[in-house]
Amino acid sequence: MSHIKHLLKTPRYGGLLALVLICLLLPLLLQNAYQFDVAIKVGISAVVVVGLNLLIGYTGQISLGHAGFFGLGAYSSAILTVNYEWSALAALLAGSVGVGLIAFVLARPILKLKGHYLAMATLGLGIIISIVIATEDWLTGGPDGMGVGPFMLFDYEIYGEKAWYWVVAALLVLSVWLALNIIDSPVGRALRAVHGSEVAAQVAGIDTTHYKVLVFVFSAVIASVMGSVFAHYSGFVTPTEAGFFHSIELVTMVVLGGMASTYGGILGALILVLLPQLLSGLEDLEMIIFGLILMLTMIFMPKGLLPTVTGRLKGGKA
Amino acid sequence: MSLLRVENLVKSFGGVHAIQDLSFEIPEGVVYSVIGPNGAGKTTLFNLISGVYTPSSGEILLAGENTRGLAPHQLARRGMSRTFQNLQICMNMSAVENVMVGSHLRLDSSFFKAMLRLPSITRGDRACREQAEELMEFAGVGHYIGSEADAMPYGALKRLEIARALASEPKILFLDEPAAGLNGTETAEIDQLIQKVAQSGVTVVLVEHDMKLVMNISQHLLVLDYGKKLAEGSPDQIRCNPDVIAAYLGAA
Repeated sequence: MSHIKHLLKTPRYGGLLALVLICLLLPLLLQNAYQFDVAIKVGISAVVVVGLNLLIGYTGQISLGHAGFFGLGAYSSAILTVNYEWSALAALLAGSVGVGLIAFVLARPILKLKGHYLAMATLGLGIIISIVIATEDWLTGGPDGMGVGPFMLFDYEIYGEKAWYWVVAALLVLSVWLALNIIDSPVGRALRAVHGSEVAAQVAGIDTTHYKVLVFVFSAVIASVMGSVFAHYSGFVTPTEAGFFHSIELVTMVVLGGMASTYGGILGALILVLLPQLLSGLEDLEMIIFGLILMLTMIFMPKGLLPTVTGRLKGGKA
Repeated sequence: MSLLRVENLVKSFGGVHAIQDLSFEIPEGVVYSVIGPNGAGKTTLFNLISGVYTPSSGEILLAGENTRGLAPHQLARRGMSRTFQNLQICMNMSAVENVMVGSHLRLDSSFFKAMLRLPSITRGDRACREQAEELMEFAGVGHYIGSEADAMPYGALKRLEIARALASEPKILFLDEPAAGLNGTETAEIDQLIQKVAQSGVTVVLVEHDMKLVMNISQHLLVLDYGKKLAEGSPDQIRCNPDVIAAYLGAA
């Protein structure tokens, strides 16, 4: 019995169980399609952030271009299913393999850079992707975007907010499980060691470049998959999805919720998706508010919301 | 055959010759110390040997194999390990995890297996955690097993770093100023720890300023000055060498 109690206190089992319960019980509280829609959008961002947190929070490598991978996934699904009549699953897989390859090829030169230079390089990457999407209108519909059909899984169509809710909830639980497994393994320790002291990691026998590339590709593929999911769910994609502001939004979720805190990232996604809903009518101020949140978090709780709060609760230093 | 052989090693940074035409050999199983005034090139030498820097010219042979072009992680695989003058502890991890990082090479670190947490990963992790705890006991920081690294005092971190360096089960261990910043008692404890490490069969190479410590535990010394070999020999030979005395105290 005490063994089980102990297991429940660990992030992997206790946290995962809590997450599953929340996902199962939440539909009881959601009253209409709009609220389901918000929950799904939280979930989609949360999964991307779980992946991005491995790169930024755990490995200490910033990326200001991950919306680019999200957009590539979304447009792969849109183009392959609409223009070429691929099945939705095949398009999703093709998109994520393609993004994985692009990320792999770009990761080596990019991840040689550090700090501001890495931020600039990934920023440029994201911007290039969104410009290509916006200008190649023969393929992508240009700035107006393009419509996407429903997600047919064999003969079953994922239809309506409720069905999508369960799909996204399952993906969220799956991504958290995978991320926690990675973190608490030799791979995860190698990633955190890269963050803590890259030279110490190297002399301990860790091929730091290899791990940086791996986690970059992994987080890019997750972003691509969720881009595909988003495309089919919303039925419409625009270049904004791949844009700079979306990248900033994703990074803000990681930083606000908690760097190197998988559940914190989910909290960050929740807050930043809910916020614009609560501030409707103030769309013009959205980016300013996001910027302010980012700045205030960095100054007052550099570890992010969840680690700071749990630190206070434990009575230790935050 | 010597475990490590350095031949005509040169390292220049721009116009500064940090290491000039340096040759020496380290036999297996000794405690070998590199001493010299500040700026003599000791840490540069360590960085060259451990692959952090690339030599401008010259050769370094580890157990007869030329290490040219090998990255630090590849040298680690060949039995080399080191600590740093300015501690390189991962403050974002717990004490035990820091030591576990050191045993990375001997673990199954496949990304996909780790992602799915297959049994080979859990098994490796359990064994590696036990070994890390034993190493922490060995290094005299056993009571920090449950601690986060950033909650440990400086002296304990110095020994934690040695525990991590040992976790890769090296043949040759380079310690860059292990006693720097420590008080007398702590230095004596480090002295004992280094002797225990040497007795366990690891060749220890030391850069250290604390002469009492160096003379006490080394079998062989190399004295550097301005990147050049000033003298080489047993502690007694070095103590009486007029060039060494001049370098340290100024020529009479």
